[in-house]
Amino acid sequence: MKPLVTSLIFVLTLSVTATAQDLHQRAWQMERDGDAAGAREFLERAAQRGGADALTAYAQFLDRHHDSGARQAYEKLLNATQGAQKSATARRLVELDLMAGDRDAAERDLEQYRAAGGRDMNLPASAPSEKLSTIAIPGPLHSFARMAALSPELTPDDLLPALARNIVTNGYQAAASNEALEQTEYLKLIVRYLSQARELEKLSGADRVIKIESCDSTQTGELLRVLGYRMRGGCGSEVVLETVNAMRAFLTIDSGFPLADLEQNLRTNRPFAYDYKPTMAPVLYGPDYWQSAKERQGGTFIDTFLGDPSLCRLYLAMAKLDAATVEVLRKDSTVQKLRAYAHVLDFYGGMFQLSNGRVVVPGGARAEKAWTDLVGAGPDKPGAFFERLVAKDDGWLASYFDALARINFNSANGPVQNYLTEPERMKRFYQAIRGKVTSPGPARPVFRSNTDMLLLTTRLRLDPDGRPHVPGSLDVWRQLFIDHPPGSGKYDAKLSKAAPGWKDPDDVLEALFGLCRKSVENEPLKIFLALSDMDRHRQTPLDAKTVDRLAREYRPLGPQYPILAEAPELSSATINQFLDVANTINGVGNLGVRADAAGTMQASVGLWQIFCRQGSIASPDADHALSSVLTAFAKVKSEREIFEAGHAAVQALLAATKSPAGVSPQDRMIDLLAGTSENDSSDTHNQLVEDMIRIFESQRLISLATIFELVDHLEGLAKGEKANMALINRTASRISEIQLPRTALSTVERNTLSFGYWSEKHIEAQRKLNLRALIDRAATDPKKLDDVRALMAPFLRDTLVGLNYVHYAPPGAQVLYTNPLFVRSHDFIGLLGASQTWKQTEVLGTGWPSSAGGKLVGSLASLPYALAEAEQNFLIPSREQALIWGDLVPQLILSATVTRWWNVTPAQLHWIDLHMDYTETRLAEAALNPAGRQAMLDAIARYAMPSRVDKIRELLEQGRVSAALDNVTPSELFAIAHDLLAENKPDEPPLAAEIRREAAEMPQQLNYAAISHAFGTPKPTLANSYSPELLNLRTFPTLMGYSSRILAESWESNLLYYAALADQVHLAPSQLNVLVPEWTRSTVEQIFATHLEDWPALLRSLRLVGDGVRQKARKQAAAAAGAGL
Amino acid sequence: MRALTKTMRIGLGLLGSGGMLWLYAQDRPTFRIKVDMVVLSFTVTDSKGKYINGLKPADFKVTEDGIAQKINTFGEGNKPPVQVMEDGTTRPLNAAVSATEGDTKPATEVRTDAFVGTNVFVLFDTSNYMYRGFVYASDAIADFVRGLDRNDSVAVYTFSRNLSRAAPLTRERSEAIFGLRKAVAGDDAALYNGLLLTLRDAAKVPGRKVIIVFSNGPDNASMVAPDDVRAVAEDEGIPIYVISTNDVNKDPMSSAVFKRISTRTGGKSYFAKTWQKQVEAFESIREDLGNSYTVTYYPQPNPNEGFRKINVEIVSDVGKKYRVRARPGYRPRGGF
Repeated sequence: MKPLVTSLIFVLTLSVTATAQDLHQRAWQMERDGDAAGAREFLERAAQRGGADALTAYAQFLDRHHDSGARQAYEKLLNATQGAQKSATARRLVELDLMAGDRDAAERDLEQYRAAGGRDMNLPASAPSEKLSTIAIPGPLHSFARMAALSPELTPDDLLPALARNIVTNGYQAAASNEALEQTEYLKLIVRYLSQARELEKLSGADRVIKIESCDSTQTGELLRVLGYRMRGGCGSEVVLETVNAMRAFLTIDSGFPLADLEQNLRTNRPFAYDYKPTMAPVLYGPDYWQSAKERQGGTFIDTFLGDPSLCRLYLAMAKLDAATVEVLRKDSTVQKLRAYAHVLDFYGGMFQLSNGRVVVPGGARAEKAWTDLVGAGPDKPGAFFERLVAKDDGWLASYFDALARINFNSANGPVQNYLTEPERMKRFYQAIRGKVTSPGPARPVFRSNTDMLLLTTRLRLDPDGRPHVPGSLDVWRQLFIDHPPGSGKYDAKLSKAAPGWKDPDDVLEALFGLCRKSVENEPLKIFLALSDMDRHRQTPLDAKTVDRLAREYRPLGPQYPILAEAPELSSATINQFLDVANTINGVGNLGVRADAAGTMQASVGLWQIFCRQGSIASPDADHALSSVLTAFAKVKSEREIFEAGHAAVQALLAATKSPAGVSPQDRMIDLLAGTSENDSSDTHNQLVEDMIRIFESQRLISLATIFELVDHLEGLAKGEKANMALINRTASRISEIQLPRTALSTVERNTLSFGYWSEKHIEAQRKLNLRALIDRAATDPKKLDDVRALMAPFLRDTLVGLNYVHYAPPGAQVLYTNPLFVRSHDFIGLLGASQTWKQTEVLGTGWPSSAGGKLVGSLASLPYALAEAEQNFLIPSREQALIWGDLVPQLILSATVTRWWNVTPAQLHWIDLHMDYTETRLAEAALNPAGRQAMLDAIARYAMPSRVDKIRELLEQGRVSAALDNVTPSELFAIAHDLLAENKPDEPPLAAEIRREAAEMPQQLNYAAISHAFGTPKPTLANSYSPELLNLRTFPTLMGYSSRILAESWESNLLYYAALADQVHLAPSQLNVLVPEWTRSTVEQIFATHLEDWPALLRSLRLVGDGVRQKARKQAAAAAGAGL
Repeated sequence: MRALTKTMRIGLGLLGSGGMLWLYAQDRPTFRIKVDMVVLSFTVTDSKGKYINGLKPADFKVTEDGIAQKINTFGEGNKPPVQVMEDGTTRPLNAAVSATEGDTKPATEVRTDAFVGTNVFVLFDTSNYMYRGFVYASDAIADFVRGLDRNDSVAVYTFSRNLSRAAPLTRERSEAIFGLRKAVAGDDAALYNGLLLTLRDAAKVPGRKVIIVFSNGPDNASMVAPDDVRAVAEDEGIPIYVISTNDVNKDPMSSAVFKRISTRTGGKSYFAKTWQKQVEAFESIREDLGNSYTVTYYPQPNPNEGFRKINVEIVSDVGKKYRVRARPGYRPRGGF
């Protein structure tokens, strides 16, 4: 109501003399108050009254919100202005035209700009890009794409590289009998498909159209033969096509031949025509470059290509390089030579680039000499340099080059690249990596195996004194290497021997680099990174003693450290208390009791973590709150003590969240989990609460209120009070709803896997509990009533665990709604002998071997990821054959479930949108003004790989701004704006002033740290924390041990894009709490990717969702306008 | 007429009182048969397994936990259902439920012929496990779709690791077959995930519905257990028919699950390794659909919040020899 009143007041008081600035200010005020729609209406009405100022304000408003009406509004304004304003308007129109991909309009508006006196813009000629030689692949693209598992959204240029990647990763396997490679079923089907397609091509004649005149024409039989079908029944309405040759028929269906159309036309005796023009696929440098003379005679290029995985690998590698590098390689080397190192080039060639004929090396000119020494050729001889680099040490040197080159400056980490590329240090660390035996190289496996090196160079940070941050003290690391914790084996005998002599942080780094190439788990590096991340946001780093303990207990308790990292206010005492409690619980002999203790404690800590993240527990109170929770568990050994501890933990959480006295603990917990906002008047909160209650009910959990009331009542009974049968019956009735645990495993499976025993026992014990009888029997005997009280501990555990589950429930939450035992089945003990109580949460038991369905095993530390993982196969791709991306999708989902947006303001959404708009504008200007182009490309190069920068350069040189924008991610748009604004150069677009002005008006909200916290993503692997954060890294490749999980964590575009989208369609920030999970689900369902690094497919999907939301908003606005609202 | 109107009113009543289901489902298809109304399909056969047709509402006694229920509507095969009056007489059911007094909003959500014919959801396994028999299965399904009664609607879904809605519910056979022929062979098999999602979709559709699963059994990717999915089907009153392309003894575990799921939901399972047997299985299902009875009723007050046992008896003497096949019961909860 309030915004509406505000809006009306503004309209009524609108002065005809208001300047554009006045109008803008008023509209901005309304936006800040959350009434963007009102602001739009206000400006629209003003514009309808006429006047250049009103038109200006309206057009700018639409422009800032990416409204499709912006260009139209500017066109009106163009006709209403003169002089400088006309020139500025035309200029903006040209930029918007180019961003929309409307070149004709851009040319027209550029004329207007020039007519108004503008001189500094030129639209580059739309010269087509260099024509590549093409090859013909028989049959249409969509058929080939289906057979080869390629996205049909690929551009022609990307077709062969994508095919090459699939052939490399899926096309061959080791033969069972010898060391040779043999074709996989995937590749065999492609080859068979091509054979069938060639037959069909012959039938298609010169015009390449398969034609059937009528059902009984002569071509029909031949076509059906090739397709593997025959007609059942004579021609006429009864004709049915049925399989006669299963293999051919399979290819027909799997390649998407329009069989149903053919059948329909045969039934109705209508002609059938199917365009069968071949797919023209561009070949880099032409087919002749890749084939030897013998191969050229032996068959078509596509046959050679499919039959030679090393050729595919080289093609893939070359396609990733920037044009100048490729030219050098082609000039100075041969295909045969390069094939030998194709795998290295493929994985580690992406950062190769040239500048003025010299190789750009990490560390710049200062490091050139060192690189010359390492490689054996200087950067001034690019051909020799690259060739030797990829050939050296089985690829280890190339992987080092790549890891160092990828480091981009990050204010949180400091000038790490500069530090690591100090010549002597760089050589020293490389020697550590290289060791004496270089085989196997890091490019030999399917994934890059230099994961640890990449993580170390990415996450290393420098202290203010310019030295690497070493958690604790040097002595901690020295001692760790000398006397490492029990059970962790030997780190490295040489390093242990050298450790007593360490005097400098570089000694530790050298050891860590040295371990990076070990094929076994690199525990010291994991400890180093985890503890660095714990220190990262702390005002005072952890003391050496605590670090030492954390390092030594990493093996059993390390997965819990992200919880401690998320609250930098935690004291060493509380961290030690956490470790003490975990050890106490580990000491409980009875595994059932231990599971209850661990579950109750972890769930309580999990709630504390959520409340801290959401601000329900204020930062200064976080330490005391956790300490209070932990104190309750300090000495748990029995079920009764577990119950008391859980009860006390809930009380501590209620107190820490400043809950009113007498509040229902259940209602309050749900309320807190849903999150709150003082300013939110929408029903979003209620919607979230209702969703949570539904899940809670589906799991048949007993509410905290009921449990505590019952237990209090038991105390009353001991004092002779009358039994509250209603309460007892209510609880007993809920207990009776607990279903029999389904047999999770057959005897054989149980013997081999042996997980689920304790969770089944846990459920069985609850199910058998006859509460009424026990209370009857106990009468007023305090001892017996105390026993009953102890029996409530498992129920309390499940309720607290369940509250964690409902908070992180992924969109859809099919498992939680369908399996009423899912929460109760959480197995805190895990596989026999594995001791998973404090390990990462894992999904186990999917698929038929466990007819009880999947369940979660381990601690609750990575519950959000595990729940998202469990849900991902319930997503329904919008198109057949789309790839649901095993390691990427859970990360996208958890980004939508961990974060809540109650404290975000409309101004923040708008500020993000303005940043993106700013970079888009700068890109458009870079197309129109060559003088500023390089600066823009340099800014992009901080985040994009050289080949992508190259592509953007080419597009800008052709004036194709819209296409260039398709190659820049939303997070890059935001980060580039940040970088360019920081340079504060003259001749910035007017948007810069607006961004700065808004930031100055609301410095608390509009700053990069606040945006990072609100719209960053959790990065449990990369940053060892679920705390949302923007790291602005280059998008990672797939990595050994993580597949695309780190790639997913480095993908920060979704939430920023949704924020800008919400601004554009005038949504209240609180609505993001409901919409982001839905948008995320929709984004995932529309991804049509070809491979695990296909983030452009993700970007396309994201934009599709945005288009859908904008379209819906426009429809709603039109409907509201039509209804006179 | 009155019965359906009542259904709509109850639905609206829930909405008005802030029923959670409705609030939650704002962005989803909004029509639901109220959870209170039970839709029960069953077949009657003689001792030789021959379908018995032509029975009247008065011939049946439906009980839940022994409590007699009042039948509201009655339908046989694909004939239009009739409304059963208080005195046991019947009258044609005017499906123009848009006449809901006082509110017209839901009328747009309900097809006026919603209760005529069956909504058939075919769930086709396109995982690696079906690789060899993929095309024959596709042919058999196409034949089945072509042969459905004209009043029936059909949807074709496929699954491997994820579900794909190849052809949404339609009466156009060509659309369904077009969707079927678009199917792509996949990789892992998440049969029970796919079945659950199909049930969720089917539950949103008014009228009689069945699911036909065409698979050879193995599942290596589902998160949900077969019996949890079966419970959803029971609660929603959706019979599941299963055509397995395996021999019954080849994979005894899958066979047992298939039998249990189909029996407990009022469907049937078939083990049809050859194309011919698959065609026969489909023929049998089609016959089942054409010869089944469907009644709806609002359960009488019953304190049992757990599983309610349904029993359908034929009250006439002659009927004592007949065998009734129906789902054994359900849990009175809203489901999704």
